[in-house]
Amino acid sequence: MAVNVAELIDALPEVDQDEATPSGGVVTEALATILSDRPVPTGSMRRLSLLGGLQAKIAVAYGFHWLRGWFQDADQRERDLKETHFKTALKMLDSMGYLRGAVMKVGQTLANFPDVAPDGLVQTLDKLHFQAQPMHFSLLRETVINELGDEPHNLFAEFDETAFAAASLGQVHRARLKTGQQVAVKIQYPGIARTIRSDFRNLVPLLLPSRLTGDWQNLKDQVEFARRGIEMETDYTREAETQMRVRRLFFEEDGIVVPQVYPEFSTDRIITMDYLEGDHLDALLAKNPSQDERNDYALKLTRAGSRMVYHGRMNNVDVHAGNYLFMPDGRLGLIDFGCVIRIESDAMWELYGRLHRAMMTGEDSSIREVMMEWQQLTDSPSDAEHLRLSTEFGKLVWKPYYSPGPFDYGDREYLQRGIDLMAEHMKNRCTRSHPTNLMQARWHVGWWMMFYRLGAIIDPAPIVNEETTVTGWEGC
Amino acid sequence: MRVSAKTKEATRQKVLQVSQDLFNSEGFRETTSRDLAKAAGIAAGTIFNYFPTKEAIVLQLVCDALENAEATFNRRVRPESTLEEDLFLYVSTGLRQLQPMRGFVGPAFETHLGPACGGDANELGDRIRTSHVEMVSGLLSKHGHDEPPTAVHLQMYWLLYTGVLAFWAKDQSRKQEDTLALLDQSIKMFVNWYLAG
Repeated sequence: MAVNVAELIDALPEVDQDEATPSGGVVTEALATILSDRPVPTGSMRRLSLLGGLQAKIAVAYGFHWLRGWFQDADQRERDLKETHFKTALKMLDSMGYLRGAVMKVGQTLANFPDVAPDGLVQTLDKLHFQAQPMHFSLLRETVINELGDEPHNLFAEFDETAFAAASLGQVHRARLKTGQQVAVKIQYPGIARTIRSDFRNLVPLLLPSRLTGDWQNLKDQVEFARRGIEMETDYTREAETQMRVRRLFFEEDGIVVPQVYPEFSTDRIITMDYLEGDHLDALLAKNPSQDERNDYALKLTRAGSRMVYHGRMNNVDVHAGNYLFMPDGRLGLIDFGCVIRIESDAMWELYGRLHRAMMTGEDSSIREVMMEWQQLTDSPSDAEHLRLSTEFGKLVWKPYYSPGPFDYGDREYLQRGIDLMAEHMKNRCTRSHPTNLMQARWHVGWWMMFYRLGAIIDPAPIVNEETTVTGWEGC
Repeated sequence: MRVSAKTKEATRQKVLQVSQDLFNSEGFRETTSRDLAKAAGIAAGTIFNYFPTKEAIVLQLVCDALENAEATFNRRVRPESTLEEDLFLYVSTGLRQLQPMRGFVGPAFETHLGPACGGDANELGDRIRTSHVEMVSGLLSKHGHDEPPTAVHLQMYWLLYTGVLAFWAKDQSRKQEDTLALLDQSIKMFVNWYLAG
């Protein structure tokens, strides 16, 4: 259900009117700087007083709240939430148009630190994301001219001026190439990549109060990894290259489709690809599909995820309903490769192989050994709880694969246990781990949610076993 | 020897062309009037018969570009677009036309078009300003706002517009995409403020 921003604002606690800064302040401030005959600021702090300022303040406020929340009880978190002046932030967000995307992307990414961020906040940001005003056509055509050198209507045989979907940090338009091919043109909002980079640069200094804790270095590493992750999402050239690489992994018999990219109509800010007809998860579920249909899609999702990991050594950690299309002919469409991490390090790949094998065999001593290495733990008593929680979480992740017979992903208790375990990690300050675990955790939670909502009852083990044969890992 | 009007105009155009080339390649400050005259094939003193200063040349280039932009805008504008889209397109079309001289027009904006420059004897600056605000008034009228905008409206608009021009002249972002974002916010701000009465 779409939530009106005004309703959200009304539902939030009151703040002083004096503290509510109108969005125009950003522009006025920018003009004051410009007219003072100084060069355009390029340093991150100075740039914050221009386009990025408002977004950064809000995103950093949220991020700081969450990160501090790791070490505080719920009541304190609630108080801190009020301190962030959520209501004021929303008022400003509401007036910012598409630039809200930057704030929300940073907010969403930060929310994935614990992956159990305050539900209300995450949901609010999600809803705002889908409500973000699109770029108007005048702005869009200027962006297209800048990127592709001509007006959309000259470049394409047809170009739909109304976006049909929101994309990560942009919007998607339908078009037809002069060859007749129907395509989707994903266009990034101008300036948003730099705005996000500025926001992140300013996050670390604000975390300095946490520098005396034992996990400071790890915290910094995690933030850095999150920064790289979100920066990946703004790099459409990388995304297009990844998409072409993933496309090569699938064959007709898989029933899995990755749209073809058209490099001549793609740049750092635009990706043009085949248009796929299909439903997102909500629309599919609204049609009340049979259990067989649900299971079939879940098996294809398993195939898609396994193929990417075991054949492609990469993982799309942005698992959410918007990135999958359930096509009318039963095929699964994979779209959006902005947040694919590649496992390029052989050492990391080998370690992942040992973790997989240990989990599949269920040998406690092997699991303990490899989990300590994976989570960078020692034999010290202070790490014992971390090891226990991580081991249980790992077993939960692998449970559908080593359990005999079909696994019921619609089991609420299974999902809840995963979320509870992540919450316990945070509560007990068990945050130290390889930075990629942040992304992996995001992947697991997204994956569970998809399968849970599908209500799939499947045996994924044969597919996973088949796909791992190419790894060369001992025992697979 | 009398120089015909046609020849004079051709020389004038030649001076403008070589000026744009030299300002871009050598820099505005580094280029002297003597350099310009030499490149245009005229005597050093003759150039002052056409333009009293280098700044006047820049302003003429800006004026010509914006006049061309107006024609381009009229071709690009769509009947079904909103006020916000039209204003955005009008300004962005002008920026695109000014693009070849981005490296050297910044100071001219501030000297001749800035918010504090109104009402002086700067004929070209006034011409640019008048032409621009007339177009803005026309667009307001096209969208059903028939009452002419007040002086305060126009001053507010001009403040935002010249701010965008100055930002664009120094914008170091990729393909000046930050300028597009600032322009979009500025136009939104003006339209919201204008519509709020």
